[in-house]
Amino acid sequence: MTPTRNLILGFLLSLLVALALQLIRLPDVLAAARPAWVPLMFAYWALREPRLATLFPAFVVGLLMDVLFGTALGQHSLGLVFVVYIVERLRGIFILFPLWQATFALIPAWALYSFLMFWVDGATQHNADPWLRWLPALSTTLFWPLLFSVMEALRQTPDDE
Amino acid sequence: MNTLPETHRRPLFPRGPGLGLRTFFLAAVSVALIFNDSRGDGLQPVRTSLSFMLTPLVWLVSLPSGLMSAAENLDSRETLQRENREFREKQLLLEARLQKLEALEAENRRIRELLASAGRIEDEVLIAEIIGISQDPYRNQITLNKGTRHQVYRGQALIDAHGVLGQVIDVSPLQSKALLITDPDHGIPVEVNRTGMQTIAIGSGELGLRLPFLASNADIQVGDLLVSSALGGRFPAGYPVGTVYEVKHVAGEHFMEAYATPAAHLNQGRQALLVWSESYRMDNHEAELHPDEPRP
Repeated sequence: MTPTRNLILGFLLSLLVALALQLIRLPDVLAAARPAWVPLMFAYWALREPRLATLFPAFVVGLLMDVLFGTALGQHSLGLVFVVYIVERLRGIFILFPLWQATFALIPAWALYSFLMFWVDGATQHNADPWLRWLPALSTTLFWPLLFSVMEALRQTPDDE
Repeated sequence: MNTLPETHRRPLFPRGPGLGLRTFFLAAVSVALIFNDSRGDGLQPVRTSLSFMLTPLVWLVSLPSGLMSAAENLDSRETLQRENREFREKQLLLEARLQKLEALEAENRRIRELLASAGRIEDEVLIAEIIGISQDPYRNQITLNKGTRHQVYRGQALIDAHGVLGQVIDVSPLQSKALLITDPDHGIPVEVNRTGMQTIAIGSGELGLRLPFLASNADIQVGDLLVSSALGGRFPAGYPVGTVYEVKHVAGEHFMEAYATPAAHLNQGRQALLVWSESYRMDNHEAELHPDEPRP
């Protein structure tokens, strides 16, 4: 069962990389526009690998993000669980789309994620600039084709062996 | 071009119908967690152990900036010599000032004895390195490389060379997280140095500190220095907190508001000082006297 093990290892490694990208220090100007790497990565796996159960890992990684960012415990897990749900539910539609159409079709998922973060922050009395909050939705959309192509290229090589 | 090659079109294991149900369940758990976490401290142990597990990741992420500062260390000889000379001069200056300080401290002690109050100028401190800054742009938090192993405790005050920086909110064995005074969640009791008026400074992000609900005839001016006050028992008294830069009457309200720039150099420098306040030591002492009583 090496392919399955490789798959799970690759999954965990990619999540680790996504978490690191989410954490790494950016200049202040760019920090507000940082793409949501972890939801991006989860959307990729949920779309591309029906063999993997992504829902529960999304919940756990969400909890880890809450600890890392000092947000209310459960906030990021809520967002991630919903993103994974949307992508899994609509996988049948998404996989028929070419890459550029999928890029646009996923915008509601990122918008929902941004909105949930904003909403829970508001409900737990953390104020924030409501306009800047939507920047991640935009940057995440722009990064989707990049992430998709890079992940495909990375996973193509071991499969050919 | 299709995003899915032919081979993957059919899943290996057909999924059961439980997706919506599982999502609903996990979302409900998340909401319950959010609710619980924003109401109390019950989940603090979970947070602490998870954050201990994540220490390697935080360390890994802070590596690139660490390498960059290591490159800065490779300075030229002249720079080092020049710096050395400057430091010598500065030390001389500071020593001269220190002599005066000792005299002042002695005088202060005498006067305090006259007032029959116990106060000290020197507090016990520990230097901690800032190893991470919150990457969420709407929160002002920093991560320090000292934790419970170094007797850091929750609520401990944090200062830098220029003033009060914030307080520790989360401690794990090897690192701790601190809230800066400019975070919207943070409030600090302050005293206007000129008049001795006590009030509270609330963080407001980019605007610095906000002093809300001042009486409309309160004696406060632009340029007033705010120092920390020992009321509340969290912060050691007398450290500079900020300088007032705007006093504003709110139209239609009975109060006025003031804004202040923080004295501490937030987001600059890599070191911070953890201060053990006197009330904490007294609490500890009492706990030693009555070990069976639960600590608040």
